[in-house]
Amino acid sequence: MKKVFGLLVSAFLVLGMMSTSAFADAAKGQKYYLKYMKDGSGMNGAKFATQHTQAEWKTLFDGKGEKFIAEYSKKFPGLDAFLKGEKFEKFMPDIRDFCIEFASDSGNVPSC
Amino acid sequence: MKKLIAPLLIGAALSSAFGADDSLKQEIEALKVQMAELKNAQSKINIDALKAQVSEIKAHDAGDNIKWTVDFRTAYDVVDYKLNNAPDQDNGIWTNKLILGMASQPADNLVFRGSLGAYKAFGQNNMESSSMFQSFDWFGTQKPSDSTIKLREAYFIYTGNMGDVPYAASFGRRPSVDGFLANLRNDNESPASPTSHNINMEFDGASFKFDIDKVTGISGMYLKLCLGRGFSETTGSYSMNSSGGFSPSYSDDGETPDMDLVGLIWQIYDNGQYKVMANYFQAWNVMDINPITYGGTGNIVFSDVGDLTGGSLGLQVNGIGDGISDFLDDSVFFLSYAFSKTDPNDVSKVWPTGYNGMLGSNDSETGSSIFTGVQVPGIMKGQRLGVEYNHGSKYWRSFTYGEDTLVGSKLAARGDAYELYYILPIVGKNLTAQLSYIYIDYDYTGSDTFFGWTGTPQDVDTVTGAVKTAQNVRASLRYRY
Repeated sequence: MKKVFGLLVSAFLVLGMMSTSAFADAAKGQKYYLKYMKDGSGMNGAKFATQHTQAEWKTLFDGKGEKFIAEYSKKFPGLDAFLKGEKFEKFMPDIRDFCIEFASDSGNVPSC
Repeated sequence: MKKLIAPLLIGAALSSAFGADDSLKQEIEALKVQMAELKNAQSKINIDALKAQVSEIKAHDAGDNIKWTVDFRTAYDVVDYKLNNAPDQDNGIWTNKLILGMASQPADNLVFRGSLGAYKAFGQNNMESSSMFQSFDWFGTQKPSDSTIKLREAYFIYTGNMGDVPYAASFGRRPSVDGFLANLRNDNESPASPTSHNINMEFDGASFKFDIDKVTGISGMYLKLCLGRGFSETTGSYSMNSSGGFSPSYSDDGETPDMDLVGLIWQIYDNGQYKVMANYFQAWNVMDINPITYGGTGNIVFSDVGDLTGGSLGLQVNGIGDGISDFLDDSVFFLSYAFSKTDPNDVSKVWPTGYNGMLGSNDSETGSSIFTGVQVPGIMKGQRLGVEYNHGSKYWRSFTYGEDTLVGSKLAARGDAYELYYILPIVGKNLTAQLSYIYIDYDYTGSDTFFGWTGTPQDVDTVTGAVKTAQNVRASLRYRY
């Protein structure tokens, strides 16, 4: 039993060194939406994300998200300061993933 | 002869070549016409309209079927127990756990969600021969047994608005395991419904949720009324009565009463960083093994021993500070307090001495528990390290039978419990590995049992064979999609 577990722990450590996982995180995007954007938009994350299709979100977030910033600063003036600030630039990949994950054509079913 | 044939052949070849040239010209002309037609047709195509149409079709198709998800884990668990005045026990167990999730949304205001689960120990199909509680409804997909697929969740949600108050009504088998706080150690992004500090088990019922953040102006505030039935009193079909005949189908069995629970979950605040959750519940007719039938016939029958009240208040900070460092921004801290209070029936005239009341007492007893932990980024990007601690008092009782541990619920412990875990993504979040270690140092017996005499707290240092400490080490690989 100890040998089996020792082998598994060794494999775990090797996996830890080998794993490459640079990825944006939709869950973090949801958190950032809730923290920085929900009050400004006045709608919950699920409703916000279903405003566009996945392809549309991808277009809006192209580059540094200039099109997204332009559309949503105009639509929700309360978001202007956040969208044009450093935090949005930093969190944009996660917010982008969140919007795409729950887009109107994502097929994602909201939970209760 | 040769002189005649040669000119004839040359003539035939030349005429054939001239014919081919004409045919080629005709084909080229035809192609030119076709090209012109195609160019004309292409100029009339509205690319934007097509894109919109494709999106519309995609959106329709995306919602026009049941969405399946797979959550599969292979794990090796080592369990180790130190017993009082008895030899230590340990074991290594390989398990496979499969959860098939399903969801559909036929209309904007109607959602169905469900999941089926099978959690098995390698090569095992008769665990019930050594444990008659193995197939209990409260943890069917949370404790390893055999390969039987069981219903873990199945419920629909109907949503609407009452003025500025969005509401959701839901009936079915509840999303009641891996709730708020337990979702961190279980590496689940979205917590299930209840606060896992005091409720983490499978049951059937209903819920009614009211989002009151707009009317109160408090971010994220909602109230959710939860109803559950943890046991149904019924004989089932074709049960035999004492005279050898059949009992009427699904009538009362006269022994084990319906066990019901009403609870209120109150999300006091949630702004994405700070989340405060509370719950309060009342459970009626909680049960334990009836010692008379147990001793007399060998058959186990449950009986009502009383009612139980409980509640909790928890804070989760998702991102410590604001922009102090990436490490703190990505760290999670939580602290939770919970209590339980018994209200025993008077069964002293029926049950033998020593088996009365609740948790070994005829008086109302209050128990309490604290639960705290942190989860921080690991060494490589995407990896997570978590540390948790909880302490339960002498009469602490929780509904955490569905906790994902093999040594029993750590949150039910009357004593101290520690956990250390490390999660690493291998193929993004689709394939992850997790290593975890739980250490429970019990003060009293009866931590994770029923609500009557089996839950009597006795000093573990005075009872021979009592579990003094328990350890559970788990190494697992998990596939999700």
